[in-house]
Amino acid sequence: MTRWDGTERPDAAGLLEIARATLLADIVPKLEGDARFKALMAANAMAIAQRALREGSGAIDAALARLGDPTALCAAIRAGQADNDAETAAALLALAEARCRVSAPKAVG
Amino acid sequence: MDKAALTAWLRAATGWADLAIGGMALLSGGAIQQNWRLDATAGGRVHAWVLRTDAPATLAASRSRAEEFQLLKAAFAAGVTVPEPLYLCADRGVIGAPFFVMRRVEGITAGHRIVRSETLGGGRAALVAALGRELARIHAIRPPREELRFLGNPPLNPAQTYLLEMRNALDSAPIPRPMLEWGLRFLERNAAPPGEIVMCHNDFRTGNYMVAEAGITGILDWEFAAWGDPHADIGWLLARCWRFGGPGEVGGVGPRGPFLAAYEAESGRRTDPARIAWWQIAATIRWAVIAIAQADRHVLGREPSLELALTGHIVPELELDVMRATMPGAVL
Repeated sequence: MTRWDGTERPDAAGLLEIARATLLADIVPKLEGDARFKALMAANAMAIAQRALREGSGAIDAALARLGDPTALCAAIRAGQADNDAETAAALLALAEARCRVSAPKAVG
Repeated sequence: MDKAALTAWLRAATGWADLAIGGMALLSGGAIQQNWRLDATAGGRVHAWVLRTDAPATLAASRSRAEEFQLLKAAFAAGVTVPEPLYLCADRGVIGAPFFVMRRVEGITAGHRIVRSETLGGGRAALVAALGRELARIHAIRPPREELRFLGNPPLNPAQTYLLEMRNALDSAPIPRPMLEWGLRFLERNAAPPGEIVMCHNDFRTGNYMVAEAGITGILDWEFAAWGDPHADIGWLLARCWRFGGPGEVGGVGPRGPFLAAYEAESGRRTDPARIAWWQIAATIRWAVIAIAQADRHVLGREPSLELALTGHIVPELELDVMRATMPGAVL
C-alpha cells in the first residue's frame, strides 16, 4: 500500500494529462482556423503545467541555492564581480536547464 | 468603417472621381494595427490595396501610421521589396483613426510553413540570397534624412545604446533575470567599437517578410526601424530563436554562405563574424526582454491572454541559448 496523502486520485498532473489527451484526440481534429490554433495553445499550456507538477522545483531550487539572492546576484554580475566565474556560470547554466525541463524540454534534449 | 467617407477621401487623394470601393475585409487585427483588404475600382480598373490603420483600442503605440508610411516610402525608393505606399490620411475624422493605403502583395508569411518549404522563393539558397540583397538595400539608407527626422539622432554607439535599453527594461521588470544579466555583461566586455550607422529594420526575420514561389513579395513590419549597426539586423535574422524549427541558420530557411555573399555583393560592405555573433546573442536577449514584457501584460492582469501567457515560457530556452554562448572562455 502506498501512503495516502488525503487527496483524491488522479492527482493534478494526472488530470492535466488526460484532459490534454482528450483535447488533442477528440476536440482538436474537429476544429479549424483560429479555434484549432487556440486549442493547440491550450494543449501546450497544459503540457507545461503537467511538467511543472511532475518535475517539481527540486532542480531549480538546487541551482538557486548555489547562486544566493537573485537580486544581489544580478547587481554583482552587472558590476563585473562575477566575470568568468566558473561556479556562477555553471549554476546559471544548471538553472536555465532546469527551467527548460518545464518550459521547453526539447531544448535540453 | 465609414465607407462613404473613405470613398470620398480616396476620390480626392487619387483624383479619380469615379472611384468606388468594391470589397473590404479585415485581413489581420493585431493588438495595435489593423490591415484591411481593400478593392477599389476606378476608370474600369480594379486596384488591389491594403488599408492599414490603428486598432480601436490602441495603446501607447510604436510608430504612428504617418511615420510608418515615411519608412515604407524610404524603403521603396531604396529598392527594397515592400508594398508600395500610396496615400496617407493623418486625419482621424475620416475613418476614426489615421490610415494609409498601400498596394497589396500576395504570398505567405507563416514562419513554420516557410521553413518547411523547399521551393518558396525559388528554393532555400535563392531565398536567403534574396534576403541578403533586401537587407543590403535597407542598410543603404543612411542618416541624416529629413523625412525620417522622427527616428531621432543616430546613436553614437549602438552597442552601448542597446545595453542601456536592455538593462533599463530588466530594471523595470518584476523579477530578477540573472541569466540575461550574465549575457549582457558578456556583451559589455566583448563589445567592438562603433562602426557604420545605417537604417536598421530591427525585426527582419522569418515571419515578417512575405514570399511566393517566385520570390520575396514584401518586407513587412517596419514599426521598430531605427538607426543602428547593420550587424544588428543580421544577428536578429540568424539567431536560433527565429528559425521556427527549420534547418537553416538564416531564419530557419537556408545556410549563411549565400546570404552573406549576396549581402556583401549588394552592399559593398564586408561583414564581421565577431560582430554578427555579438548581435546574435544580443538578439536572443532582446527577444527574451520583449517576451517578458508581453507575458507581464498577462501576468500582471492587464490583458488575460493564453498567447501572452505562453510567450513567457519561451524565456527559459532563450536564457539557455545565452548561457551556452557565454560560458567562461567563450569567444565571439
